[in-house]
Amino acid sequence: MPKVKNWQLARDIEYPYDESRPKKQWAIVFDLNKCIACQTCTLACKTTWTSGKGQEYMFWNNVETKPWGGYPLAWDLRILEKLGRQDWSANGEYLGKTLIEAAPPTERVLHFAPTDEDWMYPNVGEDDSGGLPSLDGGAHMASLPHDQWFFYLPRTCAHCTYPACLAACPRKAIYKREEDGVVLIDQERCKGYGECVRACPYKKSMYNPYTRTSEKCIGCYPAVEEGIQPQCVVNCIGKIRVMGFINPPWKARKDNPVDYLVHEKQIALPYYPQLGLEPNIYYIPPLNADREYLKQMFGPNVEGALQRYRELSSDPVAQGLLCLMGSSDKIINRFEVKEGRATGFDRDDKEIVTVPVTEEIFVRDAFDEKLEVVRHNTP
Amino acid sequence: MNRTHQTLLGLLFVGCFGCRNGGEEAAGPLPVEPLTDLVVEKVAEDLSKPDPDAAFWGKVRAGWVTLAAQPFITPRPEATTTDRVTVQAAHDGKHIALRLRWKDSEISHAGRLGEFSDAVAMQFPLKGGAEPPSVMMGAAGNPVHIFHWRAQYQRDAIEGKPEMTALYPNAQVDMYPMDFKDAKGGTQEQKEKFSPGMAVGNPQSYPKNGVDEIVAEGFSTSAVQEGHGSAGLGVWRDGEWTVVLVRSLTPEGGSNLAPGTKSHVGFAVWQGGKAEVGSRKSVTMQWTPVTVQ
Repeated sequence: MPKVKNWQLARDIEYPYDESRPKKQWAIVFDLNKCIACQTCTLACKTTWTSGKGQEYMFWNNVETKPWGGYPLAWDLRILEKLGRQDWSANGEYLGKTLIEAAPPTERVLHFAPTDEDWMYPNVGEDDSGGLPSLDGGAHMASLPHDQWFFYLPRTCAHCTYPACLAACPRKAIYKREEDGVVLIDQERCKGYGECVRACPYKKSMYNPYTRTSEKCIGCYPAVEEGIQPQCVVNCIGKIRVMGFINPPWKARKDNPVDYLVHEKQIALPYYPQLGLEPNIYYIPPLNADREYLKQMFGPNVEGALQRYRELSSDPVAQGLLCLMGSSDKIINRFEVKEGRATGFDRDDKEIVTVPVTEEIFVRDAFDEKLEVVRHNTP
Repeated sequence: MNRTHQTLLGLLFVGCFGCRNGGEEAAGPLPVEPLTDLVVEKVAEDLSKPDPDAAFWGKVRAGWVTLAAQPFITPRPEATTTDRVTVQAAHDGKHIALRLRWKDSEISHAGRLGEFSDAVAMQFPLKGGAEPPSVMMGAAGNPVHIFHWRAQYQRDAIEGKPEMTALYPNAQVDMYPMDFKDAKGGTQEQKEKFSPGMAVGNPQSYPKNGVDEIVAEGFSTSAVQEGHGSAGLGVWRDGEWTVVLVRSLTPEGGSNLAPGTKSHVGFAVWQGGKAEVGSRKSVTMQWTPVTVQ
C-alpha cells in the first residue's frame, strides 16, 4: 500500500492511493469558545441541501453537545473503542495506528456500521455536562477548566486529505476535486452499497433510502466556486467560523486566515487526527472543558493552543482576524491588520471588507437636548 | 429501459405472481453431483415469463456449483455465507431461463438504513470465443454481461418502489419541496431535482423491474445498461431462495447464447441479512462451461 505524508500525525501513513494533494484545500476553522448550539448552521444546511425524500434524517452539518452528544449515536466513542488505545510521542509524532493501518485483512478501513436507530436521535445529550458526578456545595466555576463542563461541537464533512469514504468505495464512485479538495459522491455511479457510510469515522456519509444512493456534505461547492463561503459559515450568528483554503505546513502563508490560525498561531487543531484521514475542519478548543478529553479529541497540542488563545489579547493581528470571521460572506484569501483595522481580500486581491479591531465606543447623553426627549438605553 | 416499460413489466409480474399455484411438489429432484458442464436443452414451454414453480423444472437436470467468499478485493466477507447454488437451465428458442436455488435462513428486502437485500447474479462473457475473460467480472477490453436480481428490485416490480411512508410508517413529514397535500405541486421533474440520484438519472434511484443488466470490465467498473427484456422472479420458502432469471438467447449487443453456441457462466450470491452488498458476496471461483442445444 502506498505511503503518504500526513502532517497532522508528523509521519507517513498507509493509504490505498498515492498522495495527490489538490491545488487548494477547502477548510473551516471553528472557535468552540463561541458556539452556542443555536443550530442556525444546521438549518441553513438543511434547508439548502437536504429537504428531499430520503433526506429527512440527514444533517450534513450538525451541532452536538460533548461529551454526551453524538449524531449518529456515540459515533466517536464507538470508533475509538474499536481502534483501542493509541499513543503519541513526546514530540507530537503519532505512534499508533490509523483506521486504514488498523483495518483487518478483509476490510479497507476499520469501521463500525451505524444502524437505523443510531440515526434517530440527532440532538441526544444536549446540554448534558460531564465532569464530577455531583454538585454538593454548589458549582465552582472560578477556575479553568471547570469541574462540570460541556461544549458544543459543530461538524460538517471534513473533506479529508485522505478520505476513508473514498478509500472504501469499491465502485470508485467518490472523488476529491483537484480545484478545491471537496470530496463528492458521484450520484451517477453510486449504487448505495453504504461502504462510505460504514467507513467514514465522522459518519458524514449518509444513505438516502429513497434514491438508494449515499450522499454527503458537498462543501457548498457551487458557492465556493463563486468565491462565497458555505451556508453553514455565512449563516453562523455567533461568527465562530471562517472558511478558506488551507495549505500544508510547508506551504503555509501567514496572510491566509486558515493557515494563520492553524499553522502560524497554532490555535486551531484538527479533530480526531489520530484516525489518520487528515481532516480539514479545525477547532479552537474550548477553555472550559476537561483537558484529557480535549487531548483525546484534538491531539497532543491542546495545551499549547489554549495557552496561545488566552494570550490573543496582546496580539492585534490575531484579534483582527477573529473580527473578520463572519464579517463577510466572501472567501477571504488574504488578510492584513493595520492601524487597528483588519481587511480581508478576495482571490483577485480585491478588498472585501474592513472592520475595526476594537469597536469604537460612543457615549450619548441620557437626554437629547435637540429633540428634548429621554433616550432609551437600547442599541 | 424507460419507466413505462418497467411499469408494464411490473404488472406482468403481478399477474405471474398471482397465478402461480403452490407447486412445491413441482420442485426438481435433489442434485446428486456438482455441475461441470451446463447443457441447456430446449423445452416446449414458453419461458418469456419467469416461473420458479413451473412443473417442467421437475424434469430439468440440476447440478450444483460451489461458491466461496469473494477473495479478490476488499471489502470482502470474513466467511462464506453461501457455499453452493443449485442450477437448472432451459431455453425455448428465444429465451433462456436459469433456475437458481440457495440456502438463506432469512428473507431480506432492504429499504431502511443499514438494510441490504438478498440477491443473485449470473455473468456471461460478452464476446464469443473459446477462452472466457477473467472470472472476476471480466477484464479491460473483455467485458462480461451480468444479470443481477435483487429481492428489493423484485418488490419494486410487484409492489412499486416504496415511498418513505412505507419504509418508515411512524415518521412524520410536514411536506416535501414542490409536493403538497392540499395544493397543486410541481412537475415530476421539478420534484426529482430534490433527489440527487434521480436528478442525474442514476438507474439505482428509479423503480426496478426485478433484474438489472450490467456490463463490467473487472471489479469497480460495473455499469447498468439498457435492458434486453430480461426478467426474474424469486420465491423464498423454508430457508431457501428459488429464483428464475430469464434472458434473451441473442440480445442485441449482449452476450450471445444462440442454439449451438458454447459459452460460460459464473454466479454470485448476496445474503442481505448478513449485510452483504457490493463486493461482500459469495462467488463462483471458476467459469462453468455452457452448451446451448
